[in-house]
Amino acid sequence: MQIKDIAEILPLVELKCGQKGKIASVHTKNHEALKKLMAMGILPGIKINLIQKFPSYVFQLGQSQYAVDKELAECILVRIST
Amino acid sequence: MPEADDTGDILEISLERIENLLKGDYGISRRSVGLLLLQEDREIITLVKNHEPESFNRIKEIIDRTKTHYREPLSYIIALDRQQEASRIAGEVIAHAPKTSLSLKEKISRMMINPISGIPIMLLILYYGIYKFVGEFGAGTVVDFIETDIFEKIINPRVTQLFASVIPWQVFRELFVGEYGVITLGVRYAVALILPIVTTFFIAFAVIEDTGYLPRLALLIDRVFKKIGLSGRAVIPMVLGLGCDTMATMVTRTLPTIRERVIATILLALAIPCSAQLGVILALLEGHSLGLWVWLGVVGLVFLLVGFLSSKILPGGSPSFYMEIPPLRLPKLSNVFIKTATRVKWYFTEIFPMFIFASVLIWAGQLTGLFGLFTNILEYPVRWIGLPDKAAVAFLFGFFRRDYGAAGLYDLKKAGLFSGNQLVVAAITLTLFLPCIAQFLMNVKERGWKTGLAISVFILFFSFSVGFAVNLLLNIMGISL
Repeated sequence: MQIKDIAEILPLVELKCGQKGKIASVHTKNHEALKKLMAMGILPGIKINLIQKFPSYVFQLGQSQYAVDKELAECILVRIST
Repeated sequence: MPEADDTGDILEISLERIENLLKGDYGISRRSVGLLLLQEDREIITLVKNHEPESFNRIKEIIDRTKTHYREPLSYIIALDRQQEASRIAGEVIAHAPKTSLSLKEKISRMMINPISGIPIMLLILYYGIYKFVGEFGAGTVVDFIETDIFEKIINPRVTQLFASVIPWQVFRELFVGEYGVITLGVRYAVALILPIVTTFFIAFAVIEDTGYLPRLALLIDRVFKKIGLSGRAVIPMVLGLGCDTMATMVTRTLPTIRERVIATILLALAIPCSAQLGVILALLEGHSLGLWVWLGVVGLVFLLVGFLSSKILPGGSPSFYMEIPPLRLPKLSNVFIKTATRVKWYFTEIFPMFIFASVLIWAGQLTGLFGLFTNILEYPVRWIGLPDKAAVAFLFGFFRRDYGAAGLYDLKKAGLFSGNQLVVAAITLTLFLPCIAQFLMNVKERGWKTGLAISVFILFFSFSVGFAVNLLLNIMGISL
């Protein structure tokens, strides 16, 4: 992995509204949280588009939209597309 | 950590070996059973363990060895594989035209989830959907029509006459057509009061539900609900509670943790008035718009405060919120109709016998003097909160159904026995007061005897304490509403 790539990976909570990218990885030690994220189809390589940050994190994932709270949004790492 | 190409193979090899060890018939393919075993599905593990204990240890070994090859849980690896395969298949057959601008539906959806526009939209929906449609139209116009034009003018006099000629004993006549008679009170309340109110509520709820608004409301309110130990998901039983708390208590099953279910059950029992009660309370406070705001403020404050305290007292971590936001849709009339009809039918068959039962119980209570005794006891707390003694009857009946109680207060108001302050205090106390018998039974059924009973005892004391405090505060500050 190159340094350039690393700089482009951000947790979902640090994206700006409207920013797009692909999910780089899901980062959590909590099995329950991982299960929930998986159930939503939050898996590496899937395109993601942040729609709103407050009061909940809302994002477009493929053809679906999801809302999650801050704790779950922090687990999602996104590779920003330029 | 193996190379990316290997990971699929290790999983595939393990899967094949498990498949060969499985001998039993599970009704699904061995490969599916193997996949579920690798994902450590608890149900299937128990099933295989019981079905073929001889090979289970070998299978367990394979699973454990496979796990060591990966850093993430196997369920995650399998989901990843599955997702890639699904994307590959979908990619072959689906072409996406790049979207140039947001559709109208999406624009409306964004307005609903943005707090600046979303909160006014929420208030508008509650105002027109609940207050105007259920409160004014259902509990006002329709109830008036059925109660006055049908029951008071047509049914009651005829039935009374009929029973007067058939049953010579006053005592038994009272059972059917007396002040608290099965027909004149039980049937009348069920058909004239509850039926139109819950029907209009279920129509409003079905429309709101079918548009896809509820998940949007859930995400909007999640942060507030987190403060009271719930997640945005709990907004569904809470809104449903405005229709029927008993049904809503049953729906708390959809909440993921016991802690959330207990908090939701307490709040439903305490601070969420059901549509029947809401209708009568709105009628009670009619013409006292300031009183209505005080009632709303106190009940809202109790909701948040009790929720906050229970979230501090009850053990367990704070819940997490995640929800799919489906696209907005125009509700289909036939869907709304079928849903409403099914729910009204279910609800009515549930509560109708309970109304009849309550009428009989009240009749028996009156006959034996037991009710007089309870009423006398209840007169003390009723006096403490500054209400006339007669209100005690309303509170006693309130336990049978809260709207029964509220309807009792309504009669007292019509008789001009209440001042503005007393009206507000009575409305607040009765809103918070013990849930109806049906909800109490549901609390016990869903939460167990100990919790169900504890919730009721807490509410009994708490509702009168709040009534006492509000009355005291109004008097000290010299406010008369």
